[in-house]
Amino acid sequence: MLGTLIQKELRAIILSPKFTATFAVCSVLLLLSVFIGIREYKQTVAQHETAVQLADQRIQEISSWHGMRDKTYRKPDPLQILVSGLTYDIGRWSSIDSRSTVKLKNSAFSDDPIFAVFRFVDFAFIVQIVFSLFAILFTFDAVNGERENGTLRLVFSNAVPRAKYIIGKCLGSWLGLVVPICIPIALSLLMINIFGVPMTAGEWGRVALLVALSLLYVTLFVVMGVFVSSLTKRSSVSFLLSLVVWVLLVLIIPRGGVLAAGQLASVPRLAEIEGLRDGHAKNLWSQHRKEMEERFLARHDAREERDDDDMWAEMKFEDSARKDVQIQIEAYEVRLMEDWDRRKATQQRLALTLSRFSPAAAYQLAAQTLAGTDLSLKPRNEEAMRTYRKEFNQYVDEKQAEGGHVGGIQISIGSDEGMKITTSRDNAGLDIDDRPRYTLPQQQLAAVIQPAVTDFGLLAFGTILLFAGAFVSFLRYDLR
Amino acid sequence: MINTESNNGQPRLQAVDLSKRYEDGVLALDSVNFSVYPGQVFAMLGGNGAGKTTAINLFLNLIEPTSGEAFIQGISAHREPLKAKANVAFVSENVMLYPNFTAMQNLEFFVRLGGKTECGTDDLRAVLRRVGLPDEVHHKRLKGYSKGMRQKCGIAIAILKDAPAILLDEPTSGLDPKAGFDFIRLLESLRDEGKAILMSTHDIFRAREVADVVAIMNNGRIIMQENASTLSGKDLEQVYMQYMAGHNLETAV
Repeated sequence: MLGTLIQKELRAIILSPKFTATFAVCSVLLLLSVFIGIREYKQTVAQHETAVQLADQRIQEISSWHGMRDKTYRKPDPLQILVSGLTYDIGRWSSIDSRSTVKLKNSAFSDDPIFAVFRFVDFAFIVQIVFSLFAILFTFDAVNGERENGTLRLVFSNAVPRAKYIIGKCLGSWLGLVVPICIPIALSLLMINIFGVPMTAGEWGRVALLVALSLLYVTLFVVMGVFVSSLTKRSSVSFLLSLVVWVLLVLIIPRGGVLAAGQLASVPRLAEIEGLRDGHAKNLWSQHRKEMEERFLARHDAREERDDDDMWAEMKFEDSARKDVQIQIEAYEVRLMEDWDRRKATQQRLALTLSRFSPAAAYQLAAQTLAGTDLSLKPRNEEAMRTYRKEFNQYVDEKQAEGGHVGGIQISIGSDEGMKITTSRDNAGLDIDDRPRYTLPQQQLAAVIQPAVTDFGLLAFGTILLFAGAFVSFLRYDLR
Repeated sequence: MINTESNNGQPRLQAVDLSKRYEDGVLALDSVNFSVYPGQVFAMLGGNGAGKTTAINLFLNLIEPTSGEAFIQGISAHREPLKAKANVAFVSENVMLYPNFTAMQNLEFFVRLGGKTECGTDDLRAVLRRVGLPDEVHHKRLKGYSKGMRQKCGIAIAILKDAPAILLDEPTSGLDPKAGFDFIRLLESLRDEGKAILMSTHDIFRAREVADVVAIMNNGRIIMQENASTLSGKDLEQVYMQYMAGHNLETAV
């Protein structure tokens, strides 16, 4: 019985014009998107390799340990072909030296803002927007359409249990949508392989999980369409209702969550923090100056009683007082930044929690996590670059110590030699073959899956909940 | 013609004090009692809102009775709907079926839904021919069918189910005279096979032509029920009008 119902549903979908249209649109969109993604990835890889070579060349040309510095480049990830995430939004390189801190600079979008306006349509975007819309178009009249056609009455003139019918509807509609989706997905993955994109077994595993996640997301919208269809008697009403719910879930809630979090957990702007810091510093310096003036006046009055030692002691005291103020200012800045980071993290957590009420947001977050192009992309790379910076600076210090170079310019004046200016430049070049190299540690599959589990769970829970809704609603549905 | 209670044992379709009051308070069916026996065509005549379709919906358990019971082969349609519906076939007023399916695909689906797994392509074709659909349209999609052709397809589905009882809801509505005539001949052949047929209709002429028992319904009640033999020689239209007029007068008083 269930098989008959599923088969009928599948056949009805396959024979309908919307199947052909869906298949055509899905195929063209996905294949085009993956093709562009592969081309983009290969270009990025070529750029990355050239930049790394240039940096290598530059470092080879440096002839002083004192001026030794490096540049690290973020390596493109093949999974950005499918889920670009934040790849194009965050910087691509950072300076590595003893003075400046690690900070990724020059994102692809900052170099070419036009691409930020018309963002790359990747696999995740197609699933999130296009497939979910198709799922609704396939199912908005699943139940009430049959009622309008009069076939519902005819079906239920037979010994058909309602439970089996609604299960058959969901499974049949799901299969009817998954088939036109899965074929172009398989072709896209084949294309990645044919075009020689280097993918490890772990990365293929992540792709498999991404496909599973996408199917789960589509399932949710299929079940939602059936649910809405079983709530209403007329397909025109269910179409409108489904569209409203889709707009809410896919477009409004994810953005609304972020906006609400901004209101509920407000975080001061960095300019405000800088203002607070400068104000505090100004106050401290002003107080310090006032106290210093008082001390000078007091000392001036007692100048007859003071000797050189007292003056040295006073100078030391003043120097120490100035350093104390500096330490206080820095400590205050650290406190301000720590507080800002904490509030920012709270706001971000709240924004993500609220956004996750939308399956589209849950899907997007999980897809980006699986592809490694999520919010952690920047800190992960910067962390690895910081580790490298530490190793690099340590290496440079050791080499400097070994060679006795102190850096800078030494000026010596001797009665015999006269004035002599020495730089630490070694014209013969430096042996840097044993220097540390920057590598981004590979993410383990388990480490990638773990943060995505919540979103997988949310999508599964939503699907079950909507199916339960469709089931209960259809048990009470007026079949006439 | 087999059409008497005494000769046919247990009724295949039976309404016992069957009532239905809808949520909006309308009493659509008011303590209706009737029985349809094997080899008998029972025609329910009446205007719109008389309760004919409600009675059929109650037999199909598409709605729940307020009181009373509808039985199919002695099985309560309300209490054991799946068991009861295995014994009944249904043809609706506007047989729509699945427009993107061919006649064969529609038949195949409904036959399997009716629990007949042994039906082959030849059986399906034979029934389609029997109802008057030529071979060349068997593999055409139903969206290209006329109403009469779809109706024939609906009858084919009912025949293939091979149930002891058949429910027909306004089956001749909108059919041209030729299609109507063909339909009546088919109905007669089904009756001759011993099927119990309950037909709701506005069509007095078709009812007189084929029915063994005629019931006139108004405001949810059966206001007249007669065997065709009793009505022979009378003008059924006249009788219908008289009863309707009389009942309306009673209601008004």
